[in-house]
Amino acid sequence: MSMNKGIAVIIPAFNEEKTIAGVIRGVKGLGDDYRVIVINDCSQDGTTANAEEEEATVIELPFNLGIGGAVQTGFKYALDHGYDACVQVDGDGQHPPHQIPLLIEPLFQDGYDMVVGSRFLGGSYKIPFMRAFGIRLISVYLKAISGLSLRDTTSGFRAYGRRAMELFSKHYPQDYPEPESLLFAHRKKLKITEVSVEMSYREHGVSSITPFRAVYYMAKVMLAMFIDLFREF
Amino acid sequence: MFHIRLFIGIVSIAFFVATFELIRKRHLLEEYAILWLFTSSIIAVLSLWPGLIGVLSRLTGLYYITAVLAIIFSFIFAILMHYSLAISKMKETNKALIRHCAFLELRVRELENRKKSPEAVERATGLEPATSSLGSLHSTN
Repeated sequence: MSMNKGIAVIIPAFNEEKTIAGVIRGVKGLGDDYRVIVINDCSQDGTTANAEEEEATVIELPFNLGIGGAVQTGFKYALDHGYDACVQVDGDGQHPPHQIPLLIEPLFQDGYDMVVGSRFLGGSYKIPFMRAFGIRLISVYLKAISGLSLRDTTSGFRAYGRRAMELFSKHYPQDYPEPESLLFAHRKKLKITEVSVEMSYREHGVSSITPFRAVYYMAKVMLAMFIDLFREF
Repeated sequence: MFHIRLFIGIVSIAFFVATFELIRKRHLLEEYAILWLFTSSIIAVLSLWPGLIGVLSRLTGLYYITAVLAIIFSFIFAILMHYSLAISKMKETNKALIRHCAFLELRVRELENRKKSPEAVERATGLEPATSSLGSLHSTN
């Protein structure tokens, strides 16, 4: 790996005081190439204190920007500070840090711009039927409208090279950014791939997508993705 | 017919006065205020001088109530669209400002820490021997 500044591990966090320290320790265990950047999206708990205890860099947003806005803040910071790549990891412990090198490898070895950690490539991760169905539907839809074929379209465990960081620091969706950002990258002709990762079940907290909002989510994401086809990037 | 005209007249004058008051007290930006002053004065003039409607409809050929309604609706839609655009734009600038504040705040914190304890910076950069043993401990985890 030819690197100068290293890899920024972006952890968007909203009230993750119970899990954040463990995630940061996991990343620090990977070595000196990795630098943890926590984006505290206006948490009301001890997220910042616990992250600083672990010597992470903490960016404190004075107002809640939502997941998209928080992650984008991380891209911008990493880009401005000259990092070679960045990885997005959830602060709730869902994404085991020891799997990060799996995501990084295709960036530097095979010249990919974006690597998605997938739960569906031979892993044993079980998810509720309806959610699996929804993810599959988005996957089929993405393939139909753009030709891009990926299994885990809603995975937030991802690695990004410089070109992806440049794109996403300019344009990044706000509410449910994962599927749409794939299309952004594809439209910009970035090289995207998927690698198999294991994910753990949420240790604390609940999913941001309740069954009640699932239909609204699907409709919104699919409509937004359709409009993205006509946008300029 | 007279009653409804009286009612609309009173409403439009009240609207005009309220708009004027809001501008005077600086609650309303002039940019938007002029639009509302203009609107309320047109309604006021039309309700106080109903003959004008007849003159206007002869001039423009708009005899049908549906055509008039269509114009009014398009006007309202245009205003609403204008506000949606203004809000979207403001959200973007707001986001950029929030981010900018967060970056500045981080820089201040980093500078303060550096001032407070130069040895902490040494530790962070890995210059002190104590850190390297800490670092190797982590990598074996």
